[in-house]
Order: sequence, then C-alpha cells, then structure tokens
Amino acid sequence: MLRLRFHGRGGQGAKIASRILGTAAFFEGYYAQDFPLYGAERRGAPISAFTRISKEPILERGIIAEPDSVFVLDETLLDDPHAHPLSGLKEHGIVFVNTARSAVELKDTYKISVQVITLDITKISLKMLGKPILSALAGGIAARIVNLGEDSLKKSIEKELSEIITEKEFLLKNKEASQYCFHAIKPIEIKIAKGIHKANPVITVPFETALISSPTIYTTGNTPLRKTGNWRVFKPVWNYDICTKCMVCVVRCPDACISVNEDGYPYTDYDNCKGCMICVEECPVKAIEGMREAHAW
Amino acid sequence: MIKEMLTGNAAAAWGVRLAEVDYVPAYPITPQTEIIEMLARWISNGDVDTKFVTLDSEHSMITAAGAASATGVRVFTATSSQGLLYGFEMLYTVAGWRVPLVMVNVSRALSSPITLEPDHNDILAARDAGFLQIHCETCQEVLDSVLIAYRLAEDERVLLPVLINMDGFHLSFTREPVEVPDREQVVRFLPPYRPKHAFFKASQPMAQGTAVIGGSGYSYFKYQMHFASMGALDVYREVSEEFGRLFGRSYNTTEGYMIDDAEYILIMTNSFSTLGKAAVKRAREKGVKAGLLRLRLLRPFPELGIKEAIRKAKAVAIVDQNISVGKGGILYSEISSVMYNEKERPLLLSFIGGLGGKTISSEEFEFIFDRMIEAVDTGVGKVPYLLYTEMEWKEMEKLKNVAGKGNKNYSNCRGETHNITEHGKE
Repeated sequence: MLRLRFHGRGGQGAKIASRILGTAAFFEGYYAQDFPLYGAERRGAPISAFTRISKEPILERGIIAEPDSVFVLDETLLDDPHAHPLSGLKEHGIVFVNTARSAVELKDTYKISVQVITLDITKISLKMLGKPILSALAGGIAARIVNLGEDSLKKSIEKELSEIITEKEFLLKNKEASQYCFHAIKPIEIKIAKGIHKANPVITVPFETALISSPTIYTTGNTPLRKTGNWRVFKPVWNYDICTKCMVCVVRCPDACISVNEDGYPYTDYDNCKGCMICVEECPVKAIEGMREAHAW
Repeated sequence: MIKEMLTGNAAAAWGVRLAEVDYVPAYPITPQTEIIEMLARWISNGDVDTKFVTLDSEHSMITAAGAASATGVRVFTATSSQGLLYGFEMLYTVAGWRVPLVMVNVSRALSSPITLEPDHNDILAARDAGFLQIHCETCQEVLDSVLIAYRLAEDERVLLPVLINMDGFHLSFTREPVEVPDREQVVRFLPPYRPKHAFFKASQPMAQGTAVIGGSGYSYFKYQMHFASMGALDVYREVSEEFGRLFGRSYNTTEGYMIDDAEYILIMTNSFSTLGKAAVKRAREKGVKAGLLRLRLLRPFPELGIKEAIRKAKAVAIVDQNISVGKGGILYSEISSVMYNEKERPLLLSFIGGLGGKTISSEEFEFIFDRMIEAVDTGVGKVPYLLYTEMEWKEMEKLKNVAGKGNKNYSNCRGETHNITEHGKE
C-alpha cells in the first residue's frame, strides 16, 4: 500500500489534491481512500490530507503517521510546529515541496536526508490560473510521483473539478496547469519501505486532581508567539504619495494589523498580516499594492 | 449502477436521494453536516423532488421530522454530536408517536472539553429513546443502511424511527469506492410509503400522540414499543436478506470477521472496526486465533447473535469507544448482561479506547490480545483498561506544561514566571 500525505494551508487546495490523486488511482483499478483533516476550518491554518492506494482492500483509516511520500504545498510549513510535515516519513521516502528554492538548498536548510523534489507551483498557478490555487497542480505532481497515468489524471481532474468549478475556461486552465506539472517532474519510483516504528507501549494513566486535569489554561498571552505573517502569498505595500489617510484600510483589516504612524499614514504589522488583500480591495484610491512574496521564516 | 469515490456524508445523501424522501427538515448550522448541504444542492437544482425546510434548532428539526412523518410522508433528517443532544427531548417524543422517520447521526465526541473527532457517547446517549440504531463501518454501508432503514422503520410490525450512525471524519469525510444502485433497482426493494396507522387525510380525523394519565396506560405503550423494537430483529433479518438478494451485499445484525474458530475475540462498532480487523489479521499471522465481532444493530440489541458468536471463545475484549463516567464502557455492561446467565461463556475484558477519535495503535491492539491471553491463564480479567500510550502521555505532559501545569517554573512570552503551586495558592 502507498500512503501519501499532503500538507497545505486552508484554501490552497491540499484536500482537493488528495482527492484528485485518490480518484486517479481509483480509475486505474486500485483500492483508494482519501481523507482531509482541517481542524476548525480556518483559512490559512495548516491542514493535511491523506491518500491511500492499494492493490488489496484497505484496512486502515484516519491519519497517516508513516507516509511513503509527502507533498508540501507551502514551504513555510516545514518549520511550523503544528504541521511538522516530515514527521514519520519513511526511509527512501520522497518529499515534494512547493518553493522557489532548489532541492539542495532545501535539504540543507531543513536537514532533510531523503529525496527532495521542488517546483514553484505557486508561480506556475499565478501564471496559468491567475490565482494561487494549487489543487490541480499538486494533484498532477502527486500522480506523477506515484506513477499513475496521464489519462487517469485527466479523467480525475475532470471528475473532481467540474463539481466545484462552474467556469469552463477556468476548468480547462486547471487541466493544462495540472498536465504541465505532471510533465515537469521526472518519473520516479517510490520504494515502499518498512516504517521506522518507535516502540510505544500502553501505559497506566494516573489520577491527577482537577487542578491539573481540567481543561483550564493558566498561562497567559502566547498568541503573540504565533507569527501568522508566514501565511502570505502577497503582501500589501502602501504608496504614501497617493494615500489620502482615509483610514478605510485600518477599519477593514479583519486582523487589526494596520496601524497609523506618526505622520498619520497607515502601515501593517508584517509579522501577523496574513495577506488577505482586503485592504488592497477596499482602498478607494488604489494606494495599496499586493506584492508577490516568496519566503519562509 | 455506478461506482465512485464518495464520502460517508455523500453516501448518506445518495441513500436519501434513492429513497425518494418527501421531506427533509434541517438545522443548517454547525454541527450540521455535508449530508444536508448535498441534499439542499440537489433539491435546488431540481435533481430531487423533496420539500426542504431549515429550522432554528435540532429540537425544532426533530419535532418537524416527527410531525411530518405522522402525516404519512417519508422523512429524513440528520445531525451530529451536540446537535443530537440539543434535540434529545424530542427523540423520546417522536419515537413514542411510532413514526418511521430515518435520521443519520455523524458521531463526534461531546463537549467538554470541546473537540472535533468521533466517539460514541452522543449516539449511545440516545440508546434508550426508542429509535432503532444501525452503526456503520464503511461508506457503502451508510448508503445501503439508509435504504434498509426505511424498509425496517415502515414495516407495520416495527413502526419505530431509525438512527443510522457513522463516525465523523473517519467515515463522514473519508472517501472510498461506493456502488450507487440504480433507482429502478431501489424501487423494487423500497416501494413508496403507504402508511396505514398514521397519516393526514381530509375527512378522516384522528388524534395522534395523545396523553395518558396513570402508569398503566404509559406502561402499556412503552412495553409495546419494546416489543416492536425486539421484534425488529426478525424483520431486520428478512429485510437484509432481501437486500442481499437484490444488491449482492448483505449485512447481518452483527458481522463476524475470522470468527468461526476464534479463541480471542474483539468486539467493536463503527469505522474503527476496520482497524480491529487489521489487528486480527496481524494476530493471526503470529499464531493467535483472533477474531472480531462488529455490532451493527445496537437497538434492538442482537443478543442471540452475540451469544452464538462468542460463546465458545476463551476471552472476549469489548472495545468501547465511549465512556460512562463513573461506570466504564457502555457496551461492556450490555454484553456482560447478555452472557451472565450462560453456562458456557468466555472471560469478558473491557477496554476504553478511541475517545475523541484518538487512534488505536497496533501496540494497543497487541496490548488487548496480551491481556486476553493473560486473563485466560489467570482466570481473571481486569475492568476496564484505558488505552493510552507512552507517547500520548508525553505529548500530554508537554501540553500541560504549556498550559501552566508543569511542576517546574515556566515563563510565558512576556517573561513572567508562574508555576502550578502558585495557582493552587491563589
């Protein structure tokens, strides 16, 4: 059985990518199962999705703790303590990362010992779809890496996306982007290895008083430690030559990230601005521009 | 017939579509499920000819479902977890009306602490209400169970509502290949509902759901519900045999897996049974004569099927994905009561696992088999074992530290230090 895991941020398309892969495998006659996990359904928050592909009936459910391959749709997740996308990855496993950086650079930065494949699919999707939506592209890459045929991929994209994309032209663009990504990756063979299973004995749970065992948090103020600015694809940049200090952006920012400087001009807290681009949309004089950002910190 | 990748939610919606339901009342907000979303979309597209109404709560939703069912139409509704409990009062009420509506519950663990993933305290809270309960392991079974449920509920010998249970996430969001039968085939199995006892017709007045003062009247009605529910076991067998003949898939009240010669048996329900089956396979490879019994019907309780399946085993481990706080596993108690008066009976062990969707690892299954073997050697079994691993405990310790419950001082992001004893003093 092949166990594949996708990591992305809510809204990027990791769930649909896992479905595209599942359906493509199903079309090729395999037993397939796919399953997303997105906690409290918050856009931008780390999510994962899982696809199992097997010649035998699948006697597994739920999360995949020891994947044969992982597909990381957002490089910033590699350092995210909540996502830890590389955990449990098997020996000989393959990691795909959506990044502008090279595989060598990535292996070095994040100390990854297994094979890494990189491709900047956000760039490709912005170019081919005009939006950073990665489901069809990641689906294409995953289909290639697990060695499924191009025809199954095409059929799967048609099946999965025609239910959610009503615009014919956009559906076509998605198909093209998917095939482009499929061919951008060289065929590889995933070697299915045994998991590196750590012994994990059953223990006796001791009694603890309600002081400890109630769901109460005594510590205060850890939200500032969570830098959500990492989620951005675009960052808002103000042009003070045009800005009229009308404050519409300050009011509209859903995360209260925008403040006013000594001269009365708005600026944002890039540590926490998620790049939703609402300010760019709302600015009546178009003084704010969305600039593409490719980074991880 | 088409076969495609469907989630448990989609499979339920397909079942409802094929059953040609007349009326769907729904509470549309969390914790409502995609089942209702899909039905609403089909109804709005004109794919399905069903009346759809949104209500202001699950309490109103179940009331509307019961009332509509009492007018003689085929009714479906769905909820999940907290929603089921919010409508709880009406479960007993509509069951007493003897109306054959079908409701799907997507199991999720109950608050507090608030969480997302499944266990069965929600559905088991509804255990005594008078609804029949069918618990599903696969997405295919969810679709098929909707069709079976209507046949069962609408049978003149039964006339009780049915709750179908599927696990949140592990079935509701999990896609697997599902055969969607043709409408023509379904009609042969499930003809339109023609009620004889409760309906709404001009110039034929009746009073339904009347009050009774005095225990003898009340007892009579309750005992009759009990007889109808117990009798539903036989009706279920008939219905599922016919389903098997028509669709080539059959579902008994219980399902045995490698159970015929099994000496050590796991008893489980719902989607985690899949994990249990894998554990049985692994145990067999090691030479342990393992087997699994999955309970599909929980109300009526399939006593005979259980007795016959486990009587000859050496030990049986009941894996409860629920906890009756202050007692233990709910199914353990139920199965013990079934076996107590039997001359030939296995040792019964109780395990609580998978609460809040916590996975049951291969080590935990090995632990269960080890405890069964040990119990047979010593002749006694401990009750209950809580399944929890060392890694999970370490993770919990870390979280407790973050929450300010560690033994050591810790500092928050502003550099202030606290410790647990300080809080105790406060």
